Amino acid sequence: MRRPSPEDEIPKDVLAAWVGGSEPAFALIVKATMRRAYAVALGFLGNAEDARDVSQEAYVAAHAARKRFDAERPFFPWFYRILRNRCLNALESRARRPEVSLDVVAERNDPGCGPERSHERRETAALVWKALFAIAPEHREIVVLRTFQELSYREIARTLDIPEGTVMSRLFYARQALRGALEGLPEFDDLKEETP
Amino acid sequence: MTDCPRFEGEGMKYIDGEMSAVERAEFERHCAGCASCRRELDSFTRLDALAGRVKMVDPTDAFWERYWRSVYRRVERKTAWVLMLAGALMIAVYALRQLFESFHRVTFETIAVLLFAAGFVLLLVSLIRERCHQYKNDPYKDVKR
Repeated sequence: MRRPSPEDEIPKDVLAAWVGGSEPAFALIVKATMRRAYAVALGFLGNAEDARDVSQEAYVAAHAARKRFDAERPFFPWFYRILRNRCLNALESRARRPEVSLDVVAERNDPGCGPERSHERRETAALVWKALFAIAPEHREIVVLRTFQELSYREIARTLDIPEGTVMSRLFYARQALRGALEGLPEFDDLKEETP
Repeated sequence: MTDCPRFEGEGMKYIDGEMSAVERAEFERHCAGCASCRRELDSFTRLDALAGRVKMVDPTDAFWERYWRSVYRRVERKTAWVLMLAGALMIAVYALRQLFESFHRVTFETIAVLLFAAGFVLLLVSLIRERCHQYKNDPYKDVKR
């Protein structure tokens, strides 16, 4: 999924109009951030249906709480906290029944690879996605923001409201956990051989 | 296992291209003499390459067209529910007041209000019990929110 536009592109007057109750302003905000919100929820929940439902519910909750939003500040970091809590609540309620769909991921395009290699890469994508859901949600969260959303350390720090140094250490522990999860899978040894 | 304390911070910055040219050169010089960092750098670079092969599938345009409409409908329905609940609460308060005023004689309305109140209390107790049970068995309760 390509990286959506940064939230900073939402003009302050649109944010102020939304806080004042403007429905067109709310529509503009949702349309500007929905791809990113869906991707974040997908990273937490692992399947398209839950990601759509939970991200939409987060917008409804944000709209209800809009009076508490400071229109001088960027929208997404504030909204992210609502979305994150909704995702964690959804994970909690289905804790005994995790539903990770493999249809929501694919291999990145590699024009140089043939059909056989392409099949292998699809399997790799599925394997990495499965391993991602074997690690703790707070680890998965930071890997998704960095690797799938391609956010810089500065953007991650602002989104999660943590110092950049914490981003580095959280990424380290998250990747360590992901490596551990992949190493637990029998297919990982074959992948190690072929990874450049 | 990482034996060198420099890797945790600098190794991540190096892999993610968050270092300046000077910092990169300095870290590479360190790695040249540090077997632990070289080993970890190799392992994490492979992991990053592997994860980098994966992308989330972007849903269709029709999905995104429906997305906003669905958010709007949810907001509308939530407003409707809030209005209905406010109305129901007002009726309940009125009914309870009437009940206390005419408690000496059992009427059809008294029984209806008592049944409604008993059902509401039962529902509340059941929900609280379920939440307590969920919290005890919640694998995510240690996740900082």
